[in-house]
Amino acid sequence: MPENQLVEGLGLDEYQYGFVDEEAHVYRTKPGLDEGVVREISEHKEEPEWMLEFRLKALKIYESKPMPTWGGDLSHLEATLDEIYFYVKPQEQMERSWDDVPDTIKNTFERLGIPEAEQKLLSGVGAQYESEMVYHSLKEEWSSKGVIFDSIEDGLKNHPDLFREHFATIIPAADNKFAALNSAVWSGGSFLYIPKGVQLDTPLQAYFRVNQERMGQFERTLIILDEGAQAHYIEGCTAPVYSTDSFHSGVIEVVLKKDSRFRYTTIQNWSNNMYNLVTQRAVVNENATMEWLDGNLGSKLTMKYPSCYLVGEGAHGDIMSIAYASDGQHQDTGGKVVHVAPNTTSSITSKSISKGTGRSSYRGLCKVYEGAHNARSNVECDALLINSTSRTDTYPYIEIEGKRATIGHEATVSKIGDTQLFYLMSRGLTKEEAMALIVRGFIEPIAKQLPLEYAVELNRLIELEMEGSVG
Amino acid sequence: MSNSPQAAEAPIAEEETPSSLDESAVERISEGAPSWLSERRRHAWSVFEDTPFPSTRSEEWRYTDVSRVVNLADLRLVTDGGLAENGSRPAGLVAAMEEDLAASGHAVLVDGSVVHVDLDPALEEQGVILTSLRSAVHEHGDLLEELLATEVVPPEDGKLQALNAALWTDGVLLYVPRNVKLDLPVRVTRWVSHAGSAVFARTLIVAEPESQLSYVEELLSDDFDQRTFVSSAVEVIARDGAQIQFVSIQQLGRDVFCQSAQRTLAHRDAKLDTLNVSLGASVTRLDLNSRLLGPGAHSELLGLYFGDEDQHFDHNTSQDHVAPDTGSDLLYKGALDDRAQSAFRGMIRVHRDAQRTDAYQTNRNLLLSDECRANSLPNLEIQADDVRCSHGATVGQLDSEALFYLLSRGLSQDQAERLIVLGFLGDVLARLPLGGVVEKVTRAIERKLEHV
Repeated sequence: MPENQLVEGLGLDEYQYGFVDEEAHVYRTKPGLDEGVVREISEHKEEPEWMLEFRLKALKIYESKPMPTWGGDLSHLEATLDEIYFYVKPQEQMERSWDDVPDTIKNTFERLGIPEAEQKLLSGVGAQYESEMVYHSLKEEWSSKGVIFDSIEDGLKNHPDLFREHFATIIPAADNKFAALNSAVWSGGSFLYIPKGVQLDTPLQAYFRVNQERMGQFERTLIILDEGAQAHYIEGCTAPVYSTDSFHSGVIEVVLKKDSRFRYTTIQNWSNNMYNLVTQRAVVNENATMEWLDGNLGSKLTMKYPSCYLVGEGAHGDIMSIAYASDGQHQDTGGKVVHVAPNTTSSITSKSISKGTGRSSYRGLCKVYEGAHNARSNVECDALLINSTSRTDTYPYIEIEGKRATIGHEATVSKIGDTQLFYLMSRGLTKEEAMALIVRGFIEPIAKQLPLEYAVELNRLIELEMEGSVG
Repeated sequence: MSNSPQAAEAPIAEEETPSSLDESAVERISEGAPSWLSERRRHAWSVFEDTPFPSTRSEEWRYTDVSRVVNLADLRLVTDGGLAENGSRPAGLVAAMEEDLAASGHAVLVDGSVVHVDLDPALEEQGVILTSLRSAVHEHGDLLEELLATEVVPPEDGKLQALNAALWTDGVLLYVPRNVKLDLPVRVTRWVSHAGSAVFARTLIVAEPESQLSYVEELLSDDFDQRTFVSSAVEVIARDGAQIQFVSIQQLGRDVFCQSAQRTLAHRDAKLDTLNVSLGASVTRLDLNSRLLGPGAHSELLGLYFGDEDQHFDHNTSQDHVAPDTGSDLLYKGALDDRAQSAFRGMIRVHRDAQRTDAYQTNRNLLLSDECRANSLPNLEIQADDVRCSHGATVGQLDSEALFYLLSRGLSQDQAERLIVLGFLGDVLARLPLGGVVEKVTRAIERKLEHV
């Protein structure tokens, strides 16, 4: 049987989160974006004057910046943005008790297994539906130690000084066109503060759901780890499948103070009518460690390059990325490490799988400034191609000043080897089992870093896709 | 050239009045040329005018701001090979010409015009052509009409390629017929003598099926005190089963902007290797595209650069696998000292039908000072699934263990460092061991190392 037919259906493209709830919102702005929409959002959130000014200034920056011509195909985005809803308020206020969340929304998250996960495995949970956080909770154990885990809006209201000290300092509005857009219309997202020396032993999770058709979600997350603090934050995202395109553009800012350690895990499984353009950046101070674990499985087009600015001596940044591009999908992902201080180290590991007409691109930057003596960085990208119509690209940028850096980059591209398949089949595995095993083995170095339930889920999805692939 | 006394040397022409780079120059160069050529030049000029100057906003020119490197309005076009008025040859050129290396033939260009050609008569009898493009226009018009600045390096490739196609004054044609094998390299010396001049030359190399040739060119000049522009377009075609080795050794003087656009076409079972050595000039820009067009075609792309003071190198390479069962292997290595900067941008493109491609790409940089900079962008674009592709890039410093070992053997710090740099770069030369090239380049590197 021809290889192409055999592997048809391999992948994660049987989307199981595509169900739709009835539209349930208490307020939404008109489709499209103008100054009036920005003012409305700010008014609904009862924001201080400075935030409204910040938003309006960002809107001007957004309008003045041209659409990027690199990365994915954004030629239809402008038209899409004219039609989407930039702000949809699903309920009057955010709830702290699961029982108070409206039934339709509750059902959604229950189908996604959120409340169950919270009880068993998590230190805290946030859930965003359309434009607002509908639910946020944190275990008593941590709130009593001064941990703040709240919606970004409540962060601004209840901790104005801490908020303003860091907000938009890591990613200013002018950073790029979509950071400017987010800055103008942001709504929802998490505000997390871990006090000095507090070390969370289970993860915090935020869950993002877009339900309505033609929806734009603009989450904004600000995370601050004080000296010696430790935490792990997981975000997951899904949406129903519509024939029209939706849009998600988040901005995530992370501040790691001295000796702190933070891991940010993303399992992005948007439906494949979603544009997903996200800016994520961490500033890493002395001896702190930042880890981005970025899994991109869904969306129509994702452009996302989590970055670490290593500004303190001995800082370390780690970026692990898995991309899976199936028919019609383009994952343009990677990572950036910027070495500013001496003795800083970093590593980027990227694994991508392209199937059908899917395209995965690795795009990354390794920059070492002159003062960053003894900086060390290693980048490894591996791509697996399943079909002859699949595509993979690698676009690394390595920019080094001065002789005291040691930098390496390696990338390989391969397909599932006939000899590997033959070997496994000679040991009694079916072809589909063998292929699933090879794909699993390929992503294993990163998948094993995932929280157990996600790793199991990922493996299950791969196996699921192999079923019926041999006729 | 002492080994080929039978070839008469062309007299070095008297210097013409140099002129500015504009449309009237196109008309003047076209005088007496066949109509296809004047039309081609005019077309190239219109492409030049319609193409915006490369900006650092474009990916391919990210690290070289060409508008700050050269101002075309300040340059004078030299249309006829001019030397000092008394016609005596500069010491640098004489030294290069007198180097007694075995060769199939020689060509000497001064300021973009061929002033001497000789070819082994036995090869001439077999139909090998080594001549100036200016005479080839008349003697081999059909060949040039078909291949010069058309499919290989057309003006549409870019602003500077268009400028060269409009204003080229002369260059070299090397044509080797079917089954003819050149045992010795063709050696070409290109000398530039005028500060503030713009020199446009082209090279066209055609190897017919099952033929074999090697071509070694050297670009030389004294140091200048004024920005001088040396532009080359190199077109290389290896037909089925042909084998070509193309070597360019650039040791131009300071204040030169050396720009070279090269494309190689390798047809079925052809083997087409290139080596570009960049040691001189203030700013060097190389665009090299290797196209693998027939099954079994294979290319090695080798490069070596060593920069000091404020030298700037920008190497932009691409390997295009168009046909299935093709291979390519790129190795570019560079060392940088003082405030020197380098950019390497390499692209492997595997086209949809190019199954069973083997493509590799490696860029290694050795940094010797705190102020130097290395940028490396090794890119892959793969659209076929049955491929073996990989790339790697490293930026690092002198290996401290190797240094320690050499010091413990009694070498001075300087000696040890030189030895390591030489070893690091020499690696590339070992992959294309053409007679004379290894020694020549090694000597040039050693001379440069003495100033470190």
